[in-house]
Amino acid sequence: MNIVPKVLVTKIGLDGHDRGSRVVAAHLRDAGMEVIYTPPWQAIDAVVKLAVEEDVDVIGISSLATDHRIVPKLMRALKEAGLDGVAVIVGGIVPDADEAMLIEAGVARVFHPGSSLDDIADCIRSIVPALRRVRSVDWKEEAGA
Amino acid sequence: MDDPPSLARLLAGDRRAVAQAISTIENDAPGAVDLERELAARLGRSRVIGITGPPGAGKSTLVNALIGEIVGRGLRVGVVAVDPSSPLTGGAVLGDRARMSDHGAHERVFIRSLSTRGHVGGLARRTDRIVDVLDATGFDVVIVETVGAGQSEVAIADIADACIVVCAPGLGDALQAIKAGILEIADILVVSKADLPGADAASRDLADMLRLRREARSVPVIKTIATRGEGIATLADAALARADERGRGQRLHRRRDGNAHADRVLRLATRDPFVRTLGIDCIDGGEGRATTRLRVAAHHVNFNGGCHGGVIFALADAAFGLASNSHGALASGIEAHIGFHVGVKEGDALTARATEISRGNKLATYRVDVTRDDGTLVASFGGTVYVAARANEPAPPPASAASGAR
Amino acid sequence: MNKPLDPVTLLPPAAGERWRSEYAEQIGRDRASENRSGIAIKALYTNDDWDGSRYDADLGYPGQEPYTRGIYATMHRGRTWTQRQLIGLGTPAEYNARLLSLIEHGATAISLIPCNSVFRGYDMDEVDAELLGTCGVVVNTADHMDTCLDGVDIARMSCAMNDPSPFTLLAFLLAVAKRRGVPFASITGTSNQSDYLSHYVANHMFFRIALPGARRILADHIDFCTRNVPRWNPMSVVGQHMQQAGATPAQAMAFTLATALQNADDCVARGMDPKTFLSRFTFFFDISVSFFEEVAKFRAARRLWPRLLRERYGVDDSKSLRFKFHAQTSGVDLTRQQPLNNIARVTVQAMAGIFGGLQSLHTDAYDEVLSCPTEFGARIAVSTQNILREEAHLTDVIDPLGGSYYVETLTGQMEEEILRNLAIVQDAGGMYAAVESGLVQRLIGESARRFQAKVESGEETIVGVNAYRVDETADDRPPVQGVDDDAVRTHLAAFAAWKASRSQAAVATALAALARAANAPRANVFEHVVAAAEAGCTHGEICATLRRELGFGHVQAMV
Repeated sequence: MNIVPKVLVTKIGLDGHDRGSRVVAAHLRDAGMEVIYTPPWQAIDAVVKLAVEEDVDVIGISSLATDHRIVPKLMRALKEAGLDGVAVIVGGIVPDADEAMLIEAGVARVFHPGSSLDDIADCIRSIVPALRRVRSVDWKEEAGA
Repeated sequence: MDDPPSLARLLAGDRRAVAQAISTIENDAPGAVDLERELAARLGRSRVIGITGPPGAGKSTLVNALIGEIVGRGLRVGVVAVDPSSPLTGGAVLGDRARMSDHGAHERVFIRSLSTRGHVGGLARRTDRIVDVLDATGFDVVIVETVGAGQSEVAIADIADACIVVCAPGLGDALQAIKAGILEIADILVVSKADLPGADAASRDLADMLRLRREARSVPVIKTIATRGEGIATLADAALARADERGRGQRLHRRRDGNAHADRVLRLATRDPFVRTLGIDCIDGGEGRATTRLRVAAHHVNFNGGCHGGVIFALADAAFGLASNSHGALASGIEAHIGFHVGVKEGDALTARATEISRGNKLATYRVDVTRDDGTLVASFGGTVYVAARANEPAPPPASAASGAR
Repeated sequence: MNKPLDPVTLLPPAAGERWRSEYAEQIGRDRASENRSGIAIKALYTNDDWDGSRYDADLGYPGQEPYTRGIYATMHRGRTWTQRQLIGLGTPAEYNARLLSLIEHGATAISLIPCNSVFRGYDMDEVDAELLGTCGVVVNTADHMDTCLDGVDIARMSCAMNDPSPFTLLAFLLAVAKRRGVPFASITGTSNQSDYLSHYVANHMFFRIALPGARRILADHIDFCTRNVPRWNPMSVVGQHMQQAGATPAQAMAFTLATALQNADDCVARGMDPKTFLSRFTFFFDISVSFFEEVAKFRAARRLWPRLLRERYGVDDSKSLRFKFHAQTSGVDLTRQQPLNNIARVTVQAMAGIFGGLQSLHTDAYDEVLSCPTEFGARIAVSTQNILREEAHLTDVIDPLGGSYYVETLTGQMEEEILRNLAIVQDAGGMYAAVESGLVQRLIGESARRFQAKVESGEETIVGVNAYRVDETADDRPPVQGVDDDAVRTHLAAFAAWKASRSQAAVATALAALARAANAPRANVFEHVVAAAEAGCTHGEICATLRRELGFGHVQAMV
């Protein structure tokens, strides 16, 4: 099975500053990963649909201007769609108090300004094998079906 | 977590199941062969439209508009958007679907992005089988978008029922396309961004080129302004009509003819007693390639409790032998070597993938990567064969009506 | 035999040689350095690099061509730069309180920054409530604007509105002026963020309407203001976004000048006389922590701009040729680690802007990188400006760095680099075409990646981040400015009630007229926006109408 991580890099909410997410997307590609990159202002529904169709391993949310406040909403939507096997990481400006809140909502890790791009890539690589194992599928016709 | 996807859910059209089915095939995961077998009887209902052209021609924007038009006709649309991988790192940024956001959110639309993963021809290796998934699960139209700028990026023509080549005006695309030969695969030519200067000139250049070709079929040249919806309905009509004219599922017949290599590999594998004794399965084959699998059992283990190196060697060697014999000429191994990287234990599932590195008249070399299911590279194998002048199988009987699916 | 004296320097030629050999001996391995714009920087600059013989051509006097030393004869000695601090948070009442407090502490002009929901063209009841008022004030109506400016004499205080097409905030301001009996002719300020091109490229925050529509509305806006609000600057060409997105200082300046030329061309194409609108063009730049580079960047631009205008439009009156700009210290240079260090960074950035000859300055608060600034942080930011002016006396001498061998050489080099980048854009058909094709975005993205690579490798030091690190916990970080969720909820409820009670007929009529204007190429859309604001239309309604008629803005997704 191919373990090239497939990562969605996106922004939800209202902020449009995307220098950081572009730099991260380029770096993950250079690290050998497959990156789905979207412009900012993605609706949560659209992100969930995309994550389902693309069968992504990890969703990277870039949040600079308090958009992280609706990440819990995203986490709930992902769960409802059966995607709690997908890891969500958040990068950007997140006050300390809110970091705890995000982790509790199910976010795997929060990256603050000054994080190294290699750290982000390594984090993704370490998460993915665990997820893949959880998500293998048996396609045989069920006996008696 | 929801119930895991299953065949039943897939055939019912469950979105997540469709996505996971595509992943299984894309990644050669266990179950891919079973899946393809299940889907085989359900193929041939979709109209497959290919869209290609040089970078910057506005393909994704055009696809976005087409999706809107087709969904507006009450149909279900599947889209496969292929982007090239980086030759240096193997990674890729898949940004096409971002331009399809207007209609991508529609319930009757399914979009999947693929990286070519180094495969040549402009498509990902298993694109045709991935299209099959969408075909079998009830999508009326499947659009495959890829980058095509040169003569080598024409694989799209094999898998599509109708092929659209897109050029943008003013960038010399039309002339470049003519020179590069990609026009030959076009069933329909599109001049996109037709509000820009040079659109009429590009249209004329293409029409002139077509007149010089001696083919009987007519290739329409259609101008579009995707952002304004102009020319889109005309394009949709032309593409769907051409696909119907060809006959839906035509691509499957074309594929059948090209499956000789895969069939041969699978046949040879069944004739190999040693491989069967060890419990090695051949799960895939093609021109110059083969994939074998084995689950390490108690009798494969050595005195140290790990998997015997000879077993791993045999697994890789089996793939090597099949790949090198896939062309039909008798190939005998004259040298092989293996390096073991990590320990393997009972219960591990191993996959050996052989690919052809070079092939001359008399000698050919292969590389085989043996991986464990968690993705770890377990061993690296290399081998050289001597190619004889004779066949490795008796000549087949004269062709009769095609039997069954594949 | 004695070596002859160099007649120009009267130094024995051997002195320079001697320095070079001593330097080489002592330095061991010298580090090659280049600034952010890619210009190589030497260890020493002398009159071999710039000898002052071209003083008149290269420098001149303040207030005269070539304007290098300043656009006015008196510069900051006559009138200090405007201390225009960006303020925006929460509800109009909270904004008003912060504004009045800062005015007390020395702010001399207003800059209003609205909530992200406003930037995106929505009313507060159209977005997730958690996102309201976190980074800007929620203004959706003329009444809200009235509350924001309660107790402020708008006839006397300059009001900059950070609001892109269709400039509803200015429309609300004009409605307030009408209510208060203040004639439009007394209203001063700037439409910051009126530059749709830089928004499309680098700060899509401000990008609401498809490119062609935004282009048209900007021209309408300039036309309307030139005729009806003559002391208002409707065109603020923005370089800040592009530099923050990763463009080098020279690139950002070049692309900004290209944008200005594009906008001027568009106005001329409509039949407007350059002399009527060029004097109302202002610029808005980022100031990075690369001190000398920024000083040189501004001086080079001031010198370049009149030449470009004269070449292209044949204007030569001083009002048109003056390169007026507001600058903001760059938030991108600030760090989350050891945030108090940001005060030092902002000080350096502010000094560079002052020595660069700006007309108006915003200094960031040290906690800007953690959240919307606290009152405490905002106060320090204003105090920094007061200290530079009144304790360090930085304004006692006009263009004090003028004549420095380094600064003059660097100014010349920055000018070349700016022109080189400008040529790339002009060769691509001008800024509009270059942006539409994605060329500018690609160039900026490359610069951003290059800089990031230097940070990751350690070639570029960021104190506290890749060097001089300390372990910090949450306790080491200052408390963040929170959002008063209760106040936001009250604001939402009041808004709903207000919407229900206003005259729906007047609103419907005004929006219909606006829609018709959008489809009539000769109509002035902004004029109808002003009318709609007066009739009680909300910001979201005005934006939605124009998006429907002129197209929604889609940003290119590019990595």
